[in-house]
Amino acid sequence: MGDAIVGVVANPLSGRDIRRLVTQASVFPTAEKANMIQRMLTALAAVGVHRVLLGTDLGGISAAVFRAIERRQGAGGRWPEVEFLDGQPIRQTAQDTVDAVRRMVTAGAQVIVCLGGDGTARVTASAAGDVPMLALSTGTNNTFPAVREATIAGLAAGLVATGTVPADGVTARAKLLEARVGDRAETALIDVAVSTERHVGSRAVWDPATLTQLFCAFAEPDAIGLSSILGQLSPVARHEPHGVTARISPGAARSVLAPIAPGLVVPVGVSEIERMRPGSVYPIDARAGVIAVDGERELTFEPGQRPTVRLRADGPRCLDVPAVLAASARLGLLRRTRDGPRGRSPSSSED
Amino acid sequence: MARTITYREAINEALAQEMERDESVIIMGEDNAGGEGSPGEMDAWGGVLGVTKGLYHKFPGRVLDTPISESAFIGAAIGAATAGMRPVAELMFVDFMGVCFDQIYNQAAKFRYMFGGKAVTPVVIRTMYGAGLRAAAQHSQCLYPLFTHVPGLKVVLPATPYDAKGLMTQAIRDNDPVIFFEHKALYDLAGPVPEESYALPFGEANVVREGGDVTIVALGRMVHTSLEAAEQLAAAGVECEVVDLRTTSPLDEDTVLESVENTGRLVVVDEAHPRCSMATDISALVARKAFGALRAPVEMVTAPHTPVPFSNTLEDIYIPDAQRVANAVKTVAEWTR
Amino acid sequence: MTDTVERKALTREQLLSAYRMMRAIREFEERVHAEFATGEIPGFVHLYAGEEASAVGVCSNLDGRDTIASTHRGHGHCIAKGVDVSEMMAEIYGRQTGSCHGKGGSMHIADLSKGMLGANGIVGGGPPLICGTALAAKLKGTGGVSVAFFGDGASNQGTTLESMNLASVWNLPAIFVAENNGYAETTSSTWSVASDNIADRAAGFGMPGVIVDGFDFFAVHEAASEAIARARAGGGPTLLEMKFTRYFGHFEGDQQTYRAGEVEHARAELDCLTRFAARVTETGELTRSDLDAADAEVAATIDRAVDEAKAAPLPTEADLLTDVYVRY
Repeated sequence: MGDAIVGVVANPLSGRDIRRLVTQASVFPTAEKANMIQRMLTALAAVGVHRVLLGTDLGGISAAVFRAIERRQGAGGRWPEVEFLDGQPIRQTAQDTVDAVRRMVTAGAQVIVCLGGDGTARVTASAAGDVPMLALSTGTNNTFPAVREATIAGLAAGLVATGTVPADGVTARAKLLEARVGDRAETALIDVAVSTERHVGSRAVWDPATLTQLFCAFAEPDAIGLSSILGQLSPVARHEPHGVTARISPGAARSVLAPIAPGLVVPVGVSEIERMRPGSVYPIDARAGVIAVDGERELTFEPGQRPTVRLRADGPRCLDVPAVLAASARLGLLRRTRDGPRGRSPSSSED
Repeated sequence: MARTITYREAINEALAQEMERDESVIIMGEDNAGGEGSPGEMDAWGGVLGVTKGLYHKFPGRVLDTPISESAFIGAAIGAATAGMRPVAELMFVDFMGVCFDQIYNQAAKFRYMFGGKAVTPVVIRTMYGAGLRAAAQHSQCLYPLFTHVPGLKVVLPATPYDAKGLMTQAIRDNDPVIFFEHKALYDLAGPVPEESYALPFGEANVVREGGDVTIVALGRMVHTSLEAAEQLAAAGVECEVVDLRTTSPLDEDTVLESVENTGRLVVVDEAHPRCSMATDISALVARKAFGALRAPVEMVTAPHTPVPFSNTLEDIYIPDAQRVANAVKTVAEWTR
Repeated sequence: MTDTVERKALTREQLLSAYRMMRAIREFEERVHAEFATGEIPGFVHLYAGEEASAVGVCSNLDGRDTIASTHRGHGHCIAKGVDVSEMMAEIYGRQTGSCHGKGGSMHIADLSKGMLGANGIVGGGPPLICGTALAAKLKGTGGVSVAFFGDGASNQGTTLESMNLASVWNLPAIFVAENNGYAETTSSTWSVASDNIADRAAGFGMPGVIVDGFDFFAVHEAASEAIARARAGGGPTLLEMKFTRYFGHFEGDQQTYRAGEVEHARAELDCLTRFAARVTETGELTRSDLDAADAEVAATIDRAVDEAKAAPLPTEADLLTDVYVRY
């Protein structure tokens, strides 16, 4: 087995869009994102990862980590060697995340960690291929990424990257929604919403009055975001093969109080709830508007373009952090004695 | 009807009467009421030396306390003035002008000119100046020459309670930016002040004492110092004319020149530092425009070219006193070629 | 369609007006760039080309109750707030017919009758003033808002920081628009702004901070409309950070050796006018001929403005001494 490599990419722009203004969505300081990465570095080193690839940004995150590395001088435990993925222009768009993740995949990273919200997770997933990913929450809607202490995430990522815990038992494929307008396509990890707004504008979807249709890969009752609309009416778990779709309109007979964004609980009219079968293609009925993927407007469409949505089973492989650490407990992988690591073999019966 | 009130009360009365008369007059500054956000009383101070006391309750919503952000709130007063308000903002000590001077001399002073006559900025900035309270170097300066130097500003320095009320009333009604200098050692000075509202025009000096031998031009607290010296000198047979400038911009050149034409001898008494001061300004004015009348060189009585010292003995030496004024008068009175 | 959607969707007239205004700013600046090179324009000019979506995206939400303050790079804000283009051009040429009768120049163009408190030669000079106009609007109950446009350089100036604090503490109807074009003169904003994102400072001053793609008119318009609505409703100030780049140097004459190709990239891939035109023709909200007609109209207006400016009289010696005071 070669060197264990973990890729880390953090979105500097997550958590700074219009939802800070139209509701009280969380303000997640850059300093905290940088701190999370540093906590992960400590944890990764502790379980034997010596190489980390870090995406670079103009939002101060990689700069802060760089400064921390320079000033550290070995105090407080070793860190892995951090290779900053620079040398290409930073466009301050999602493309930066895509480029960084692709480089990590090419370089042989065994696990890719992304820091951001649903949008960042979605973009990371689109480029990660078969490499298991771990999404840590620092964005607005954190339906897909986990709100999890970065140190623990680092331990889990490190245990899998080094092969100490085999990836297969602790990763699962997520479902994926694919929205298509002609030859333009976008994928979503959670939901695809159709809005009658004409323009992408500030991207974030926060006004339910413009929605006409909703497709969910999964819909959990305790989720935040658009999927909560169906999460209360017709829940679908992440592991179930199907998805769910419905029409949205203010005048519908049935409506549900849905927390569609942090601080925003609004009544949403819902009708014609229908299960989505994997592989089936569903048409979008609105004449013209914008398709939002995981809560962000992305694909505009005009009359006659006939957009569609399809549920796919071949989404990203997602690391199950609790499962990794449960395995590590069962197998005694983090036990240490004076003489070094022990408990590597499952048959160890001491203590 | 006049009654005796203090310089402080006279300013407070002018503010109250103008706020009563004109809704657009508002007050802002640090602790101009006092107590904002605190558990005890509001209007805890009414200004650090009590000048604005009582106005907070009398005019609800029109006395605004501020954080310690001079650039922001002096600038806000100026901006509000361009939008139809008549703000009276307090720059607590003129020594603090450094942190907000741009808003005063680059913005307020220049709007009308830079915008081709299309701006009106009727803002009053009240500020405390002067030594004598042992407040030391950063809380005792005069600095009015710096403001006088700037075209677009008006600079006002009342010496008496009567002048304080009348000049403040004019300052508020004036449509140009006015810097209103209040001497901190004069706040307790009492004097006759009419109850009714009145405005004293800018650019009109006041001959507070007539005399034919020597002209003393003074301003602010130095007017009283000069009067004290004049009393002493009268006993020695020298009759001084004391001219209180009242405003340095606009400046009443005519009254000064007329007096010097008459006496031929001039002493200028100015508490500010000697370089580029009112003392040098008046000296140059007289040298240019009353040269023929002068029978002696001009004498300047000023503070030294030093920061204001702290210790009692030093500060008392720093501030020009009646003895130094009298000595200067004697010098010009006895001067021969 | 619900009321909410109808209120927000821009009408044909609004879209055409926005396009015309952005085009006017672009052509004005490109023309001043060309004319300045001939040596006929005195003093300094600082051009706004590339940043049009910010000025127009914000100002298209404002009305006669509202005031803006600008920077040394003020032509765009002036035009977006309705200042007469011919008067502006004459002012830049220092003529008596200029907005300020030739007394102010490029850095001091103002029109208080249109709520334009002036371009400003002092970095950070605008935010305190806008706290004042916002205070006046609040005390008078006009419902007006005040917008301070400032750059990434000014975002580090004490006056700006104090003003954001004061606006929050006094709950003023103010909007702070940080136009982060990446440079304060030659110094990169990623270096000079310690928090990297100017919007991140908002939390420290008790207001929401939002990052907006400054090249996208629709993104700017949407964010600004929310911030303005919030201010009008008494919800207090907001900080919007526009991220984009300026097409020209800090001033005309700047050799720009500190840059590395971002202008070419922006003009080709990100330009606000190109994107706007592509969007509205794609949706059919406007036609190419609508846009072409607007372009022609703007070109004629700018030509006329330059011709008039060049032919206009210079101020006289008597003008030197006027308007220092209302009455001295």
